[in-house]
Amino acid sequence: MRDRRRTLLISLPVAMLVIVAVFPFLWMAVSAFKPLSQLYTIPPQWLPDPPTFENFKNVVFQSNIPRYFINSLIISIGSTFLALVFAIFAAYGFARFDFRGRSAALAFVLIGQLLPTATVIVPLYIVLNYLGLINTYIGLILVYLILTLPLSVWMLTGYFRGIPKELEDAAIIDGASQLGVLFRISLPLVTPGIIAVTLYSFVATWNEFVFALSFATEKEMKTLPIGLAEFSTEFDTDWGAVMAASFVMTLPIALIFLVMQRMFVGGLMSGATKG
Amino acid sequence: MTIRNISPGVWFILPTMLLLAALIVYPMLSTAELSVTDANGAFAGMRNFNVAISAPSTRLILFNTAYYVIGSVVFQLLLGILAGILLNQHFAGRSLVRSLMLIPWVVPGIVAAMTWAWMFHTDYGIINYIMTQVGVISEPIGWLTNPNTVMPALIAVNAWKMFPFVAVMVLAGLQSVPEELYEAVRVDGANFWHEIWHIMLPQLRPVLVSITLLLTIWALDGITIIYSITGGGPANRSMIFPIQIYVQAFEYFEFNRAAALSVLYFLFISVIIVLYMRVFAAQEKD
Repeated sequence: MRDRRRTLLISLPVAMLVIVAVFPFLWMAVSAFKPLSQLYTIPPQWLPDPPTFENFKNVVFQSNIPRYFINSLIISIGSTFLALVFAIFAAYGFARFDFRGRSAALAFVLIGQLLPTATVIVPLYIVLNYLGLINTYIGLILVYLILTLPLSVWMLTGYFRGIPKELEDAAIIDGASQLGVLFRISLPLVTPGIIAVTLYSFVATWNEFVFALSFATEKEMKTLPIGLAEFSTEFDTDWGAVMAASFVMTLPIALIFLVMQRMFVGGLMSGATKG
Repeated sequence: MTIRNISPGVWFILPTMLLLAALIVYPMLSTAELSVTDANGAFAGMRNFNVAISAPSTRLILFNTAYYVIGSVVFQLLLGILAGILLNQHFAGRSLVRSLMLIPWVVPGIVAAMTWAWMFHTDYGIINYIMTQVGVISEPIGWLTNPNTVMPALIAVNAWKMFPFVAVMVLAGLQSVPEELYEAVRVDGANFWHEIWHIMLPQLRPVLVSITLLLTIWALDGITIIYSITGGGPANRSMIFPIQIYVQAFEYFEFNRAAALSVLYFLFISVIIVLYMRVFAAQEKD
């Protein structure tokens, strides 16, 4: 009885919560399929009638968005992969060994994860400029390691700690080397962790705005977030195209999320703190 | 200490630590150096800091930053705690609602910004339409162009974006509350509000403390939403500290002054980071 009353009592706030969370996303999606005449009407038209692909056509064939999409892919994958390689070793070191300075080093990684991007953009620009890495994939992949590397180390350390040490000790007794143990025993066991870290790093770099804005200024090198912001100028914004481009940009993230939802939330709990 | 005595752990972490030092420590030292030199590299003492601090817009920017950060964090917490408590109740379709609720947090920041900018559109925005229909406002408001509404509008976007994070953390915190606690107070005739006030919130306290610090750090780094929607305008009314750093460096090309701002900004934020790490370390020990 009490439970039933409670269910009724919470269904209204739950409905409101869902509307608040989902409405902007849906509004973006329906706007993307509206022709101009239906976007700019008062009262607003709720659903496109009929839906049009005109905005998507503009985005795909008449803007730089496809190029930006590919740039974003290359940079996100590059930085995610590079961070993963470094992080596997570091996380294993943190999880399995006790040494002087360990907790200080771990604290430093955490600081790296929390550090606001605005504090380092100026000198990073100067360094990248000096090295000739402004407007290059390598440059962006490197600076994005600030986002991906601490995150990966921090999360993976937790996953490595979860493996029983006895498993590794047994392998060592059987004559395996430390590296052999890492790659043959431990790494396969933290596959869920690797996947979670990869997802997080990819999403973090895919969404990143400020570094891309500062370090990729040429048309050929810009990433999706910048491309999206470019659509909107002070006096004239093609809102249909902006919504279509938003839709295109969100699609990969939405797919990852749908397929990997459990891991996504699990990863969040295990201390993902950048985004 | 010879090389052989060094723990293998050190070798494992060394490449990463060197890389992070190059990406974080070096730039920070370099920022400090830039902040006390002029454009030609000559020592300038505190001049950059003086100029940065005494600029007429500084007071407004500080006010805006505090406004944005406090407003964002308060609403993120309120909405997030509410959502977390709701989603911890039993109801049909709960897991579906849980994943739908994560949408704002998963959507890229720039997409959230653009979508809300469209919804806040003065003439064709859905928000003005709904609010005039319901009768909350009598005529459309220029949310993003009116100096008095621009900050609340941006705070709404930021609150929407991050409240799912709070909700997920609150949900996790609530799931570790032993059922006996609820049963104990129910025997005493407690209602739902008593449960929230006397059990859930006290149990969530450590989680909420660390989330609040994290949200503060993130809100202080909130360039994407504001810069892409208003660029800091109208008339600097939505200009916050990190955007000022960006503008100073990449629109005015005054790197030294931007570096001085970065140093001030870092000093301030490091206080919060230190607090967070202390809370974090205390929780690890438990």
